[in-house]
Amino acid sequence: MKFQFKVSPTMKTRQSTQQIMMLLTLGLMSVVLFSSAFYFVEYGMNYVVHLWSLLAVAISVAVASEAVWAYFLKKDIVKYLKTSFPWVTAIILVLMVPISTPLYPIAIGTFFAIVVAKLMFGGFGHNVFNLAGVGRAVMLFSFGAAIMPDLVTSATPISSIANLGWVVKDAVQLETFLAQFGGISGLLFGWYPGAIGETSALLIMVIGIFLAVKNVLDWRIPVFYMGTIFVLSALVAAIQGLGIWFPLYNIFAGGAMFGAVFMLTDPVTNPTSASGRILFAIGAGIITMLIRLQGNYPEGVVFSILIMNMLSPMIDRFTDGWQLELSKKYVTSIATLSVVGALLMGVVGFNLQAVAIEEPEPEVPDITLSSPIALDQSASATQGVVLSSSVDGDATVVVVEIKGYSVLEGGYEGAQPNKVEVRVNTSTLKVVSVTVVEIKDTNNIGTKVDNPIFLDQFKDLDQTGSVDAVSGATVTSLSVVRAVYAALEHVKGGE
Amino acid sequence: MSVWIGSMQKHIEGFKELTTYNDIVNIAAPKEIFIPLINGVSTAFEVLVKEGDRVFVNTKVAVRNDRFEVPLFSPVSGVVKGIKKIMHASLKPVDHIVIENDELYESTISIPHLDLEKATKDEVIEFAKVAGIVGMGGAGFPTYFKYLTPATLKAVLINGVECEPYITSDYRMMENYTQDLITGFTAMMKMANAQEVHIAIKKSKKKLIKYIQEAIKPYPFASIKEVDDVYPMGWERTLVYAIYKKRYVKIPCEVNVIVNNATTAIALGQAITKQMGPTMKMVTVSGNGIKNPANVFVPVGTPASHIIAQLGGYTDENITLVAGGPMMGKTMTTDAWVVTPYTNAITITKTEQVDSMTCLRCGTCNDHCPAGLLPVRINNAEQAKNVDMIAQLNADLCIECGLCTYVCPSKLEVTEGVRRAKRVLALKKGA
Repeated sequence: MKFQFKVSPTMKTRQSTQQIMMLLTLGLMSVVLFSSAFYFVEYGMNYVVHLWSLLAVAISVAVASEAVWAYFLKKDIVKYLKTSFPWVTAIILVLMVPISTPLYPIAIGTFFAIVVAKLMFGGFGHNVFNLAGVGRAVMLFSFGAAIMPDLVTSATPISSIANLGWVVKDAVQLETFLAQFGGISGLLFGWYPGAIGETSALLIMVIGIFLAVKNVLDWRIPVFYMGTIFVLSALVAAIQGLGIWFPLYNIFAGGAMFGAVFMLTDPVTNPTSASGRILFAIGAGIITMLIRLQGNYPEGVVFSILIMNMLSPMIDRFTDGWQLELSKKYVTSIATLSVVGALLMGVVGFNLQAVAIEEPEPEVPDITLSSPIALDQSASATQGVVLSSSVDGDATVVVVEIKGYSVLEGGYEGAQPNKVEVRVNTSTLKVVSVTVVEIKDTNNIGTKVDNPIFLDQFKDLDQTGSVDAVSGATVTSLSVVRAVYAALEHVKGGE
Repeated sequence: MSVWIGSMQKHIEGFKELTTYNDIVNIAAPKEIFIPLINGVSTAFEVLVKEGDRVFVNTKVAVRNDRFEVPLFSPVSGVVKGIKKIMHASLKPVDHIVIENDELYESTISIPHLDLEKATKDEVIEFAKVAGIVGMGGAGFPTYFKYLTPATLKAVLINGVECEPYITSDYRMMENYTQDLITGFTAMMKMANAQEVHIAIKKSKKKLIKYIQEAIKPYPFASIKEVDDVYPMGWERTLVYAIYKKRYVKIPCEVNVIVNNATTAIALGQAITKQMGPTMKMVTVSGNGIKNPANVFVPVGTPASHIIAQLGGYTDENITLVAGGPMMGKTMTTDAWVVTPYTNAITITKTEQVDSMTCLRCGTCNDHCPAGLLPVRINNAEQAKNVDMIAQLNADLCIECGLCTYVCPSKLEVTEGVRRAKRVLALKKGA
């Protein structure tokens, strides 16, 4: 008979840290699945492959770093990993970056988060900063501009509205602006590209409620954090005369909901008392809004989290004592912090100004020009065929069909000529403008000629002029020159 | 309980069905019984018998003779064999009076008769003292002493909550000795000079509530207060707050309430009607480590081993044996200790090995501490040997309810850390 000795109590809840971390992983993977579905439907399989490659790289780096660390500490590697949960950081980090992020920045970000921010601080339970937050900050500062060349990336809702100075008062402009995300409800559902896992506020909220019910996270943090953001942005909306869309935009767009559910709630880096966590959440909400509205960097979530992480030990000291005796102090300090936040936001709100909106200029791809071609040089060569000619005021508009690279050089079977529209001043017989109607030459090579840098050269030229050809598209350039020559001939002859 | 502090309580799986509905097992006294000379933490007793004396059922054999007066009575007739130091349920070696049971059960009367109708407040209090009535919920605090308060009391609160898992002895006592309960709380009301009696029972115990409601119908001053099935609802502070929404600094009298355990009221009732002290005890023997879990009715001084043998023995070679409930009871490394008047349970479970891991600072312990303390901070301060901080964190207010260890997802012995901190603080105060 063996009587086991153990200090009381001998009964323990079934919930373990391992279960908490598994549920958290489950929640994060639900977001991954949602994003995979989005990118598959809207952009195709190669985006999904890239998303999972990011995940695979981040998780491998995280697990490998910890395994090596455990090996050098002479610890049982499997046991060490089982109580250290490196993959959680890796998944959170991947969900915070845009889909166009290449693999090497995520590897470096993860490595930094795990090795520097976690292991060097003493491993699981001892880190001061939110690990994924550190990784994200490192990536932002070091590889902010790194994007995958093949993947389309879109501005996040927060950076888009920051470009407008946050204040959008014109109803039509607001509607077109919101329409790009499918309106406020579109932001809620999150079917738009942004940071990989931060788009669907609704999904993250549902996961948050599930995790709160399962005691994985403390409901106070997301509720007070989102509440602060909502109230403060409603205050700004009231000052600026903006609608209810403004506070809703602030809570549904961007990483606020993601940060609230998956990062601020990280128990290791937030205060241990309930009132401390409330102060922590309100503080983070105020800082998020200040950075959003006043900072140089549009999204304040990550930095607000890291700043509040720094203050966690101080908040813990502040709330130390007999809670029943201190409850008045707790309520007063929470109220004071809220008032301070509201005052700050009031000042910010009065000073906010809409940024004058400039019509976005069409993007001009860079081309370089090379050897000059004289217009009359083409007189002897193949003539263009005038398809149509019409008079428009002072000018005659001539559409010319001209054999380009694909026809002349026998590019492929069934090659077709290019079409160019030339506007000629009927009296001076000088070119007014040249517009490309259709270029049937090789895509991305021949089409380079459809560029103002090249076409603007024709302005005010007569048959004696010359233009520089587009490097790498000399033959197509030549075809446009011939078309212009033919058009000038046509107008001259028509007289 | 608030948004600012946390829930300060938690529902815990009770496993009460193991012993709520089956038969109560009457266990006869063994050949030798051992009366432990301890009450609470005090072992200051004057022994009134000597080796070779013949004693009867109800013979007063010893009396606590320090600040409090608590008599002990023999549950059997027989011969005193002497005094022996053995392990007690409080994990301390304690003197026990050894009585050889002659199985004749000849009895005597050591308690005066009390006419409850005519008796004054002081007479009832004096009666409670000489009858040896102590808090039967596990603490063993002398009942009479509580009523010496000069405070004005409005209500007597009978605590029938029984929030510890596994334990159903109060439930079975209230169910089986309802008339004694009524006599007991009537006497308490007299001692308190109060107008009302409130009986606190968990909402989840629907059958008992209905039964007691029926029984107290003729007593309009008595009513039932239903409370949530959470731990530690049975703690005075939690209970008083749940029912009256009031908090007090030291004792419930500050908010005009006096709290007594239901079994204590029954013991008082039985002392009045039968003129016998607390010599028999209902004890819940439960858990997956005992073959036949049941409530047993045993003489005080019966060794746990004797009871366990009568219930079919252990189910496993490696068990965890707790004197009391699994939350606040003490783990015993032997079954050779005996039942005291205030032992309410023996919890026996198969030993489970649980691996602990690093604290993740989740603060769940802080949110649940019914005393409003910050257990994880106290643990940190204790590890840093920061006595000032331990004092600032009011570690001495801890009642060691065990909830912080229970809720810890990292499976750390949080309560034990607070206990160590309390010792550090006590040493500092002593110095």
